[in-house]
Amino acid sequence: MDNLYIEATDRSPAVSFEFSKGHLQLSGESYPEDANGFYKPIFEALDSYLDDLGSGECRFDFELIYFNSSSAKAIMTMMDKLEEAAASGAAVNVHWRYDVEDDNMKELGEELGEDLEEASFHLEELDDDG
Amino acid sequence: MQANELHGLRTFMRGHGVIFAYSGYVNEQVLSGVGEAVKQKLVLEEADRKTMRSVFAVFVEQMQNIIRYSAEKIGDHDETQEGRELRYGVLTIGQEDGAGYTVHAGNLIEKSDIRRLRERLSDLKEMSHDELRAAYKAQLKAGPDEFSKGAGIGFIEIARRASEPLDFDFSEVDDNHVFFALRARV
Repeated sequence: MDNLYIEATDRSPAVSFEFSKGHLQLSGESYPEDANGFYKPIFEALDSYLDDLGSGECRFDFELIYFNSSSAKAIMTMMDKLEEAAASGAAVNVHWRYDVEDDNMKELGEELGEDLEEASFHLEELDDDG
Repeated sequence: MQANELHGLRTFMRGHGVIFAYSGYVNEQVLSGVGEAVKQKLVLEEADRKTMRSVFAVFVEQMQNIIRYSAEKIGDHDETQEGRELRYGVLTIGQEDGAGYTVHAGNLIEKSDIRRLRERLSDLKEMSHDELRAAYKAQLKAGPDEFSKGAGIGFIEIARRASEPLDFDFSEVDDNHVFFALRARV
């Protein structure tokens, strides 16, 4: 299927879903005016990719600087979809990459990743490059 | 308003450490624009990144509470840009003694909502940081409908970003309304 790229805006994250490489990434800030509207096409693309993944490999990088409470729900939904694919046999690695200076983002990663059992969850500090 | 009155208002606010003040009708574009200026101010002050993001996070949730819940509104909840609903609220960001920041927001609410808000916010005031983390997660899982349009999670987000328990208060306005104010220190 076609890769999905969405450029970041002031209020929405960059999306880089390279399905052909099994490498998906969400990065930047997320507090869109309409979180449901923003994430709907992203969920649809993710669903159709994961449906066909079978026992394939997938790596998902979350590299977020800030997200509001409405976006947190969307992130949890993506985690659920990834866990489901892993439970169905895919090799799924989820990386939560956070700014070392912001332990709130580490805590949020711990909370959102703690339900992953079949998928592997990795908390990683990002280098201090501002 | 005369220049001296406006200057008096400015002096009053500066005297209270206010570095940003918005009073008026708000929409998402106001949030975006004021938000960019707030970010820039925090960068110029060389606030650490955790503080910067926490102040910003509290600002976003407080502004969105006004946009979604203020009882003082005009226009329709309609999708076209021009006829779109606007809601009135007040938000200030203050800086105390060069140290922490305070985000203080207020808007009118119906009297019938006082009890629900008071209960919810009193519960949050009593929670430890770990309890707030657990409540945040539980609210995410519960879905947005369990506490009116997701306001629950917004308050939890504010409480967990704050460095001390939230302050809130209600001030009588008329037979049906009170002014609700919520203050978070970061």
